Amino acid sequence: MPAVPPAIQKVLVIGGGIAGMQASLDVANAGYQVYLVERYPWIGGHMSQFDKTFPTNDCAMCTISPKLTEVGQHPAIELITNAEVQEVRGEKGAFHVRVLQRPRYIDEGKCTACGQCAKACRLKDKVFDDFNMGFGTRSACYLAYPQAIPVTYAIDPDHCLMVTRGQCGTMPKCIEACDRQAIDFEQQESSVELEVGAIIVAVGYEVFDPRMKPEYGYGKYKGVITSLEMERLFSPSGPTEGEIIIEGKVPKRFVFIQCVGSRDQTVGNPYCSRVCCMYTAKHAYGIRDRVSGAQVTVCFTDVRAFGKGYEEFHERVQRSGVVYRRGLPSEVSARNGNLVVRGEDTLLNRPYEEEADVVVLACGLRPPRGMKEIAAILDLAVDENGFLKEQDPHDPVVSGRPGVFFAGCCESPKDITDSVSQASGAAAKALAVISKVHG
Amino acid sequence: MRKQLRVGVYICHCGRNIAGYVDIPQIVEKLKAVPNVTMVKDEKYMCSDQGQAMIQEDVREGIIDRVVVASCSPTMHERTFRRCVAEAGFNPYLYQQVDIRENCSWVTKDREEATAKAYAIVQAGVSRVKGLKPLWPTEYPVTPTALVIGGGVAGITAAIDILEAGFKVVLVERVDHLGGWARRIGRGFPTLIPVQDFLQNKLEVLESYPQLTLHLSSEVVALDGFPGNFQATIRQVDNTTIEETIGSVIVSTGFSPFDARKKPEYGYGNTKQVITTVELEELLEKGMPSDNGQPKEVAFIQCVGSRDKSIEREYCSRACCMVVAKQALLLKELIPDAQVSVFYMDVRAFGKGYEEFYEKAQRKGVLYIRGNPSEVYRAGDKMIIRYEDTLLGRPQEAKADLVVLAVGMEPAEGTADLTNTLRVTADKDGFFLEAHPKLGPLDTHADGIFIAGCCQGPKDLPDTVAQAHGAAARATLSFHQGQVIKEPIVASVDEEVCSGCRLCEAICSFDALRFDERRKRMTVQEAVCKGCGACAATCPSGAISLKHFLPSQMLSWVEGFLL
Repeated sequence: MPAVPPAIQKVLVIGGGIAGMQASLDVANAGYQVYLVERYPWIGGHMSQFDKTFPTNDCAMCTISPKLTEVGQHPAIELITNAEVQEVRGEKGAFHVRVLQRPRYIDEGKCTACGQCAKACRLKDKVFDDFNMGFGTRSACYLAYPQAIPVTYAIDPDHCLMVTRGQCGTMPKCIEACDRQAIDFEQQESSVELEVGAIIVAVGYEVFDPRMKPEYGYGKYKGVITSLEMERLFSPSGPTEGEIIIEGKVPKRFVFIQCVGSRDQTVGNPYCSRVCCMYTAKHAYGIRDRVSGAQVTVCFTDVRAFGKGYEEFHERVQRSGVVYRRGLPSEVSARNGNLVVRGEDTLLNRPYEEEADVVVLACGLRPPRGMKEIAAILDLAVDENGFLKEQDPHDPVVSGRPGVFFAGCCESPKDITDSVSQASGAAAKALAVISKVHG
Repeated sequence: MRKQLRVGVYICHCGRNIAGYVDIPQIVEKLKAVPNVTMVKDEKYMCSDQGQAMIQEDVREGIIDRVVVASCSPTMHERTFRRCVAEAGFNPYLYQQVDIRENCSWVTKDREEATAKAYAIVQAGVSRVKGLKPLWPTEYPVTPTALVIGGGVAGITAAIDILEAGFKVVLVERVDHLGGWARRIGRGFPTLIPVQDFLQNKLEVLESYPQLTLHLSSEVVALDGFPGNFQATIRQVDNTTIEETIGSVIVSTGFSPFDARKKPEYGYGNTKQVITTVELEELLEKGMPSDNGQPKEVAFIQCVGSRDKSIEREYCSRACCMVVAKQALLLKELIPDAQVSVFYMDVRAFGKGYEEFYEKAQRKGVLYIRGNPSEVYRAGDKMIIRYEDTLLGRPQEAKADLVVLAVGMEPAEGTADLTNTLRVTADKDGFFLEAHPKLGPLDTHADGIFIAGCCQGPKDLPDTVAQAHGAAARATLSFHQGQVIKEPIVASVDEEVCSGCRLCEAICSFDALRFDERRKRMTVQEAVCKGCGACAATCPSGAISLKHFLPSQMLSWVEGFLL
């Protein structure tokens, strides 16, 4: 083989969800330095919002929390949160990366996550709680969830009065409240320059916006919610502490609608999102388990229960009394204070109407916001649906650019298990590039 | 006089998982009166950084000598908290995890009962922790060579990654060539790119590495040693055996297609007009037989040997839906005027570009009929398929010249033997069981042994490749580090007491005991010992004990429950 200069024995991982975390841990546990760049102030990604995982109904937070801690405490992983990759130059073995880190306005070294700033904030209970999908409110200074890593509060620059208006009364309450003097509105954007031998892209996904399917009434009726909102309702650390309460009431009649924003040419998403069948099965089972006397219907086209133990779980969900109705509803409307789901049952071959208190939309997975930009920065191709395109369709891990590898949903939708496998796969490819054994 | 041990107890709410069923404030109050307990704290999630920081602060301040965390099962978080106290400068084996979730709050409905039970469990933990002794792990050097068992796409992919990283690979394949089932695939879905190009390319890369040792027509018949330094015994075609020293193992033994004769109602084996997708794959490459003219009506039946409790194959085989979509489309292109229909229950077109491909197959005229046929029988020169169309809700019959059964995947022949040889677990369907369904899909419960591809469960080519890359990473982490670290919870023999009866030797599943013939005493190979304790329980003279689970430590634990 031709002599090549030794690779820089460091890896950049972009995105701190479960895929990025797994890839980081594999590289770091092999003994190499990892820079993990996360756009949000904390790592954990979507999995940290989930209540349980299918098909075992294990507590998602209990599963991810050791990994969060391991990443946060790993001596070989440097977390760069609130940050985005701006420029990538160079090639496999020697990439030069510029990362823009936005101010957190809270000094990570001083903050003890005591939460006094959030209690004191003038906007307490006035800011839309994005982690809880808008159920409930928070302050402009916040920690998204109790297990968040790094364990440091952050100030939301879109809402904080000091950031948006330059003034918050005569003196910001958070500064008064913080006895460690950790609040720092002087913080500026800064550039971080990194040198790495390989790059793992794990920027994840975002959830389809159901407003693009106005016939389902999301945003119009309070009882129409998304599956991610459902996760937060189920979560013991969520806005209702795990109680299924919507608008102050315990609903009894639930209809789940699958394939919202998936397998749907009309919204430009012809692909299957691969996870919705199973998370809906999990939700339906959870409702039967937690809400006594609940009626649960799942409207589906094909049940895609393909992973290990999934078919068996789907069976178990049906046995628990969940009704599976084939055919996607055409419309959700309201009548006498009830939601009405209208559709055609394709097995009975007739139209039906079903009243519901809650309609849960199983929203599909989309490329995340900013995908085009990050693809351009990394000089990577995207496919017709906007996900990152692999060099060879038989190999989901390897990108078209040498030294750059994919992990998780940014390549195409997939569940946690498959994301984790792929993430270790990306780590293997990155390790092969930077391996010190070569030198 | 030695000063009294100070125990810190930390109680986790686990959100509502524990706090919803157990009266934690009551337990906190009662614990304050327990001798030696000098610190009691509770927290919403002890595993969170705040929770861990709370323990670390107390450890660093030197105000406690022992730590008990009452939370979930030790399998969940024992390692987390051991690491937590170790970072604060504590020996991690002076920490005791007690489980008040899986063993208490999750299974005890009555709040009073759950609280009483949780208290007893915590109190026993306090009693045990006082007798714990510090232990230290051992480091062993690693042989940076991976054994890959199975030379299909998964094994080849993993082997290349390991070689590429600069390590050695011993690849053992049962038959006389590499490539596995992929050799028999024509085109891949959804791209219709020839799979042989992909495979040949991989094989060329693989064989270009001089660090590859290839054993064809060979099988692994024994594995001894321990992670980092295993000895694998390989039986070759001439029945001679050789030994290889390796650091880790990747199993990638693939699958076997379901034997369609086990569904006699479909008539496979009785007529050439009923074939399987495996056979059709080859026909599509080599050309369809045309002795009786080309088939004009072709019917595919999905889920043959999958999703079928009647034959104990409850699981979905994950790839068949797309195999059928591909073959149906190719047939339609080959014989444009043929009527091609697919009998299905759910079309599982979930991968990248799959749904679009399924759409395309339908657009090109492949007819999808929802319903699983009950019977296939002959009438003249046609096959008749009896089925219920679940969309129309009535029984129907369809004619076909050729019926293609989409056979599912089973564990490859010999999988059960191999799980025994490697001492790893199989799942209820006989596939290799992963360490964790979500976060440990590539690991087994045996350290140093990893899994890739269909031996873990059915999957398609891209998912197999992704998993194989992943297994390569997992199998080489210790190679990069150059060492493995062994936990100190192992058996030890008191030579004064051992009578040399050798009863324990037979009981050890890990071959960790070695008899010292000269001194007539048993010895423990600590690197091999898994710390299961079977030998300690067997020893008639009580000469063997398990570190961290000494009789005195167990007794004080039990005493704690009786207080």
